[in-house]
Amino acid sequence: MNISRRDFLRFCTASSAALALSPLDIFRLEQALANPSGPAVLWLQGAACTGCSVSLMNRIAPTAPTTAADLLVNTIDLVYHPNLMSAAGDTAVAAARQIYNEGGYVLAVEGGIPTAYGGNTCWAWRENGRDVTFAEAAGSLASRAAAVLSVGTCASWGGIAAAPPNPTGVKGVAAALGKPTVNIAGCPPHPDWVVGTIAKLLTGTLGTLDSYGRPTAYFRSSVHDRCPRRDRGEAETYGVDGQCLKELGCRGPETRADCPTLRWNNGANWCVDANTVCIGCTNPTFGVSRLRKEEGD
Amino acid sequence: MPTVISIDPVTRLEGHLKIEVTVDHVQGRQTVVDAHATGTLFRGLETILVNRTPLDAPDITQRICGVCPVSHGMASVQTLDNAAKRTVTDNARILRNLVLGANFVQSHILHFYHLALMDFVEGPGMAPWQPSWNVDKRLSAAATQTLVNHYVAALEMRRKAHEMGAVFGGRLPHPPAFVPGGFTTTPRPDRIATFQEYVADLIPFIQGTYLPDVEAVGRHYTDYYTIGRGRGHLLAYGVFDLNATGTSKLLQRGRVVNASTTVQSVDFNAITEQVTHSWYAQSTDNLKPSVGSTVPQYPKNGAYSWLKAPRYSGGAYEVGPLARMWVNGDYRRGVSTMDRHLARAHETLKVAYALQQWVDQIDPAGEVHQRYAIPSSASAFGATEAPRGALAHWVRIVSKKIANYQVVTPTCWNASPRDKTGARGPIEEALIGTPVLDITQPIEVLRVIHSFDPCLSCAVHVMRPAEGAKIFHLGHYSGEAAFRTTAA
Repeated sequence: MNISRRDFLRFCTASSAALALSPLDIFRLEQALANPSGPAVLWLQGAACTGCSVSLMNRIAPTAPTTAADLLVNTIDLVYHPNLMSAAGDTAVAAARQIYNEGGYVLAVEGGIPTAYGGNTCWAWRENGRDVTFAEAAGSLASRAAAVLSVGTCASWGGIAAAPPNPTGVKGVAAALGKPTVNIAGCPPHPDWVVGTIAKLLTGTLGTLDSYGRPTAYFRSSVHDRCPRRDRGEAETYGVDGQCLKELGCRGPETRADCPTLRWNNGANWCVDANTVCIGCTNPTFGVSRLRKEEGD
Repeated sequence: MPTVISIDPVTRLEGHLKIEVTVDHVQGRQTVVDAHATGTLFRGLETILVNRTPLDAPDITQRICGVCPVSHGMASVQTLDNAAKRTVTDNARILRNLVLGANFVQSHILHFYHLALMDFVEGPGMAPWQPSWNVDKRLSAAATQTLVNHYVAALEMRRKAHEMGAVFGGRLPHPPAFVPGGFTTTPRPDRIATFQEYVADLIPFIQGTYLPDVEAVGRHYTDYYTIGRGRGHLLAYGVFDLNATGTSKLLQRGRVVNASTTVQSVDFNAITEQVTHSWYAQSTDNLKPSVGSTVPQYPKNGAYSWLKAPRYSGGAYEVGPLARMWVNGDYRRGVSTMDRHLARAHETLKVAYALQQWVDQIDPAGEVHQRYAIPSSASAFGATEAPRGALAHWVRIVSKKIANYQVVTPTCWNASPRDKTGARGPIEEALIGTPVLDITQPIEVLRVIHSFDPCLSCAVHVMRPAEGAKIFHLGHYSGEAAFRTTAA
């Protein structure tokens, strides 16, 4: 690992100008060499859409890990991730199993766990000549994990796939496996919520969780409480700047998340600033009832 | 002696895919002689839409896919606009195009660098790039180093493309600004300026780095301009409306047979879904999506997939950037693994340039939205393109609720199983003839599959029970109430 990381540093240093890497970035890479072996992370995807992983790749922050590259290279040892890993098939499964045998890794799960039809609506992989359901793979890997992160609302409580009539019997990871998880809610979760939780986990101070297992650092107050449009005139249609969206069915009052102050995509925007309603994507009941309301209804 | 190789999971794509190929000696060379593609995730989002307000469809269908949610948002709002027989303002049309185009750019950059590149170069000596199948990697150490550096740079560029889309989309993935009747975000001058800054940042990367990198890989893998061809039947619904009725598009609608230069029209009534090799009752064979019906039947002789087989006048068609660029007359070098990558890169540049023009066409004082009333009853469809190919939604509204919602996704076309004539789906067909040096590390198979940029999470209706599993019944979703095969 040490030598490999040094190779990567060499790649980056050699063309720091082309990569727009600052001396500070190079310094950080060097620091990573001093402490080379990040903890192993196994990232599994179940009944998911990959949106959580795509959101994670949008990480940009002044504090380490500053970007997705920083996260991948310097912070964690991402042994298994279906979208990013080079290996496929048996080689990929063997990589996960090797870490499983060592134990003590972080298991991050994206997507819920289908339980109907014997779990066969989602397979994780083929192992020893057998198609292994996601429920079985997640259960096995959770058994030797130091911590299990439910990344996103689907992994936390089932999410959209579990909305009525929940055709595949999707459950959140904790409910399906009977094991507590840290629930990083959101459809998708903000990259800072995911990276922040992992970073905190690495320092050994997870912080407090609310009664739904969400880190209170991000999910303490309601969207409405901190909304800059609180107590403004109420919009009756979309496309109007500056007005409260309560009449259009905004779920800000019942939804806990720091979106109004954090904003999304490097501060580019967020739902309410785009003149549209909060659809409550960090709620355990997200998707159960209507997301939108007819204008003027 | 033929050998069957099973690859599960096929990584570096979106969703769950298993591929089985049969390899045999053909003229002294180990070569793929048969292939079966099986999606391994089913979530049933179409079923979840039934009985909901149509206004929920854009948000819910976006959750089909976190890589191409904007395309589902676009298809869904166009379907609902069509259901109400209305068009949207020019501002709304342009803003929708800007967010969709931004996501094309991020998806294409992500695809080449982060999903496909490691099939051709050896990544850094650490996870997640190791372990790897270090076979037939032909680039020099220096060229590899350059590409790995660009992999890192591309992480930042695709992030910026997402930020560009979020300026108007609200956030990405899953932008909330797509609503029937128009769009929600206003085109304030500061937002227009920010968008322009992003696109000005992205174009030099696409032109000076992405496109040359694809060409460079192609120079070392010239055989991949013939490997992975398939039949050369190409289908594009077209995308990026340039007028209110969509009769003019940046990338036109059309259809091509056997890679000819003759572009034929697309008749949506010619699209059916076949089930001879899918686990559905044969009585539902060959139905149009608008009246689709799905009656699961397992086991079933000859079936091996829960994907149905979409066909156009009975024929299997490849969809994606190559199909679009070919139909549009922008790229006609050939149909192959490398041509798919190259057409995708050229399309990225074409879309980025268009974004630069469109953002200047916005009227900052003009309306973005007009109140949308749900029709009490209607049937409609909307057809657009996802980064990975043709996408259409169909809806039937009864008493202002969704009675039926159908999605036929690009990967449904590309990863489809055989049809009633025994003809393979496009990915299966493209794999035939692929050489395999080492059957324990069949990287050549990955190269062909990845060139299609498959997106299996969109596989709305993909499932295969374990061997010997009981027959399952989905009785409470009977008739046309939305249980259909679709993949993505």
